[in-house]
Amino acid sequence: MNDAQRPGLERPEWERLAENQSRLAFGLAVGELARRDSQVVAISADTIDLFGLRGFLESNPDRLIEAGIAEQNAMGIASGLATTGMRPILCGYAPFITARSLEQLRNDVAYAHQRVVIGAACGGIVLAMAGGTHHAVEDLAIMRNMPNMTVIVPADARQTWHAALQTEQLDGPSYIRLGGKFEEPPVTDIAADFRIGQADLLRPGGDVTVIACGCLVAPAIAAADALASSGIAVRVLNMHTIKPLDREAVLAAAAETGAIVTAEEHRITGGLGGAVAELLAREQPTRMRMIGLPDEFAIVGPTAKVREHYGLDQQAIMDACRDLLA
Amino acid sequence: MTSNFPAKIEALQRDALHIRRNVWRALHAAGSGHMGGSSSAADLLAALYFHYLRQRPDEPEWPGRDRFVLSKGHANAALGAALARAGFIDDSVLDQFYAYQSSFGMHPDIKMPGVEMSTGGLGHGLSVGLGMALGARMQNMDFRTCVMLGDGELQEGSNWEGAMAAAHLGVSNLTAILDYNKVQQSGHVGEMLDLEPMADKWTAFGWAVREIDGHDMEAIVEALDALPLAPDKPSLIIAHTVKGKGVSFAEDTYLWHNNLVTDEVYGRALEELGEAE
Repeated sequence: MNDAQRPGLERPEWERLAENQSRLAFGLAVGELARRDSQVVAISADTIDLFGLRGFLESNPDRLIEAGIAEQNAMGIASGLATTGMRPILCGYAPFITARSLEQLRNDVAYAHQRVVIGAACGGIVLAMAGGTHHAVEDLAIMRNMPNMTVIVPADARQTWHAALQTEQLDGPSYIRLGGKFEEPPVTDIAADFRIGQADLLRPGGDVTVIACGCLVAPAIAAADALASSGIAVRVLNMHTIKPLDREAVLAAAAETGAIVTAEEHRITGGLGGAVAELLAREQPTRMRMIGLPDEFAIVGPTAKVREHYGLDQQAIMDACRDLLA
Repeated sequence: MTSNFPAKIEALQRDALHIRRNVWRALHAAGSGHMGGSSSAADLLAALYFHYLRQRPDEPEWPGRDRFVLSKGHANAALGAALARAGFIDDSVLDQFYAYQSSFGMHPDIKMPGVEMSTGGLGHGLSVGLGMALGARMQNMDFRTCVMLGDGELQEGSNWEGAMAAAHLGVSNLTAILDYNKVQQSGHVGEMLDLEPMADKWTAFGWAVREIDGHDMEAIVEALDALPLAPDKPSLIIAHTVKGKGVSFAEDTYLWHNNLVTDEVYGRALEELGEAE
């Protein structure tokens, strides 16, 4: 029996799964980008199957560099490749590709202003059961503080596809936070217009605004729809780009609804909520509630249960909206 | 070996002296700096910039240029001196070391013509150089990549990730040159965190290794001309050097890894180095 014939492998199904798993959609986009541009090269940190890149490797053996479990070296290689005109796409685990190789990311990629795309799978508490070593709940704070960096948290697999393809147009490095090995409910239309740096207006309400990213977008929509039946009109913004932040959308929401809830799978310090709060504190002080993880290492458990434990869900968003309107 | 070889060596020795004098000039302008590691690297840099590297100073972004990465970025004064002598930057830049809004700070900045990577955090250059070498291979380009490593920085584990990967990937267009001056900021390397057996380590990691006296210009040139040292391996030249080479009070001591350069110190250093031309 060869490896491809062994039972239980995801690979035969991975293209179908890419429809609702952002890590696989990103892997599909790597193949598409490589098809369009001969300078595109993928770098794996022992993440070939995590990103569904096995097929890509087989048909493009010269276009994927396996760096092994060595993120510092992988990040340095990416920078060096970029200086020669190549378009490296580094595929790593969010907790490791940010923290382990942080100095290479800061110096070799951001400071040296190289066009490196970083795909970061298992962002947030996707790996809740794995413990704090595998949680990436400070990654957005880190990446936001890197000059030259574009930071994207797609809301679903479809948006991941668009975001990855649009990195072609970026002049500097980018970070795209992705999910893990379970389904992410689709919340965007595959045909929907996507532009880096421009928030999606998903619900038009005027009473309160929920600004969400990533896996909190679906609960935000559900919360808005539930509150609509109580006569509360909730505006929902999918803030897929954390940096550069869509200032106009945030300031308009503050001016027009006067109350803002942010929701993200990240510590409430330094991420989406932090970015919105910093902007509003300067430009237009507005009452806020911030949904995210507290200043502690998260507990272990099934991801859905841990999300519920920390109030990363529809109910918490509804409560925050009501609290602001009380 | 051609008949003008001795003249070539003498010219390179003059280039090296020029670099050393300008290291002290830049440090004097700044008031302090890393004279030890800049001076130990001067002969190697002279041979690289005025013998080995194929570059076009009037076209610094020429895609076919050989790449040089100064991984031991604190020797930037020596790199700046080489770049000025090669014509990448104006000689007057050397007087702007550490100056307000200068492109010539303590560590190399990719924005300066001729600088291929911003370095300074130790243990970065080898991986970046590996990426450059892979970029050449993937694009069927014949440029070569050289990375100068410091010995102290080899205490950073990232180097060994890079060393392992470069051998695994078989990049013979990548050369590392170790400025093995045996002294780091707080003492002798062997006492701080010993790196020996150096050659055995790299050989075990899959590199082709040659050891030379890093102040013997003839040996340096011969080693560079022998690159790649093996057809399908990365090459390492271990250059045994003296920290602070050329100025007796600064030689082989951590006290002159980075120190103040007063008018008096500057005068004594230039006097010991002698006139350049």
